[in-house]
Amino acid sequence: MKRNVAIIGGGQTYHAARRHDVDQAEMVNEAVRKALLDAQMTMDEIDLVLLGNMEFFEGVHMSDCWLVHGTGAYGKEGLKITTGGTVGATTVCAGAHHVASGLFDRVLCIGFEKQEEGDTGAILSGVAHPLWGRSLAGAAVGYFAMMASSYMAAWGATEEHSAMVAVKARQNARKNPYAHLKLDITIQDALNSRMLAWPIRMLDMCPASNGACAMILADEKTAKSRCRKPVWIRAMETAHNEQFELDWRDVKTKRPIFSKVCAERLYRKLGVVNPVDYFDVFEIYEPATWAELIWYENLGLCAPGEGFRLIEQGKTEIGGPIPVNPSGGVLSTNCIGASAMLRVWEAALQIREEAGEHQVSKPVRRALTTGYGGTNWTVMTALSRTLDD
Amino acid sequence: MATKEKEWISIPMTVDVPYRFAAGEYLTKTLTELRDNGRIYAVECPKCKRVQLPPRIVCAECHVKNERWVELALEGTLAGFTIMYLPLTDPTTGKPHEPPFVYGSVRLDGATSVMDHFVDVEPDREKVWVGMRCRVVLRPREERIGDLSDIRFFEPLPGQKKPQPSTH
Repeated sequence: MKRNVAIIGGGQTYHAARRHDVDQAEMVNEAVRKALLDAQMTMDEIDLVLLGNMEFFEGVHMSDCWLVHGTGAYGKEGLKITTGGTVGATTVCAGAHHVASGLFDRVLCIGFEKQEEGDTGAILSGVAHPLWGRSLAGAAVGYFAMMASSYMAAWGATEEHSAMVAVKARQNARKNPYAHLKLDITIQDALNSRMLAWPIRMLDMCPASNGACAMILADEKTAKSRCRKPVWIRAMETAHNEQFELDWRDVKTKRPIFSKVCAERLYRKLGVVNPVDYFDVFEIYEPATWAELIWYENLGLCAPGEGFRLIEQGKTEIGGPIPVNPSGGVLSTNCIGASAMLRVWEAALQIREEAGEHQVSKPVRRALTTGYGGTNWTVMTALSRTLDD
Repeated sequence: MATKEKEWISIPMTVDVPYRFAAGEYLTKTLTELRDNGRIYAVECPKCKRVQLPPRIVCAECHVKNERWVELALEGTLAGFTIMYLPLTDPTTGKPHEPPFVYGSVRLDGATSVMDHFVDVEPDREKVWVGMRCRVVLRPREERIGDLSDIRFFEPLPGQKKPQPSTH
């Protein structure tokens, strides 16, 4: 990067299905205040505000203008970012680009969604082509169900493996005070939960959450003079997929699909030979249990077809050798505009050793995060504790 | 004295917006062929040779213009499926599809892309599987209107049995 960029502060709201006690600006402001407090900074010192939020999920357009008092953006430079499930990660990525360019030194990035105010499923159907597939738009669950049926047929995984991911996420969430679904569930509970779209059951899917996350990014000089524990953004990569072509619905595809392409490019940039050795913790975007298994494989944490073995062996537990989503992940908290930013922020907390009860057992010097969204693209961010890592 | 519960006001509202979406040159050709002649046309990229459906004017991978039209078979292979238990609303009509029903992604013979549609089988995992051969069932000519509903569903080719998983 042209200039080094650090995360010098951040914060998140509590995440819940109901937040009628706040309007959108009030909710966003909760996260912004926490981030400023964490960075020991005032709003006057921020020179750019980026807001990540999905279009029309809350029934308003141009939320960056509406919420200017809550975001702190009044009179400042700023823009809004809307990229689907990746929103939060794209917002961090754009913030880092702005700092790296040398034009801005202190950037506030915010991601939020207040899902209860609208009909996410209805708005998401607009992601499908109006004349080619929209009549069948099965919300996210239909897509992940097709992917799961393909995964099971290709590799011989079972619904039990999916249940293991469901349990890991919600048990981890119980250690995270901010998480939405803190459920003390067993594999049997997951297997007994209501069938939505075979083989996906209620506990295999993420919830619809309300919440916000905010992060402050800064240049090296600011970071070193102002921040006790800066977390460095070492590399970012984005890759898109093409609509109508098989991707995660065909797990054996030989095509260069977004998730593999993105990981390969990022690893090349950093000189990563084996991601399992290189990174100490992973925070990935898994709206459904099966997506987590595919991520294991596409990130190279194991060979193709062995993702379900990894969960079976408990390797990705908080105390395991390859901890994945100690926060509870998207399966436990999905406030869409914030979800991908929470991956980055939670990874930063791990590097700062400030994740609290869900801090992983091993020391964390480096972390990898992924965002994921429709129509199949990803933003990956690699973080480190020092500039030598 | 009883404490009054704190009140939070939230106001319900509905936004109903009409749109008219242009299919454009390429998709219009495919949709009119489907309506008038019951045929499915895709385009082939001159460089990577991927046969793309719905047809796109430019190959996303090669950034070249797709110009060769290819008629696809009305048969293909199921690449992924689900048995849907939720009463999903059809966003184009506002009416729910009655669950349970099966739908999936089918790769028609000759195509690189897949196509999502209903599969006319019982919602029973023994009756539907990845790799199942399917054919397109069209509406009668006089009922076709030039969109994907001109295809009623995929149906399994007769005489197939679900392969049993290997024992090792």
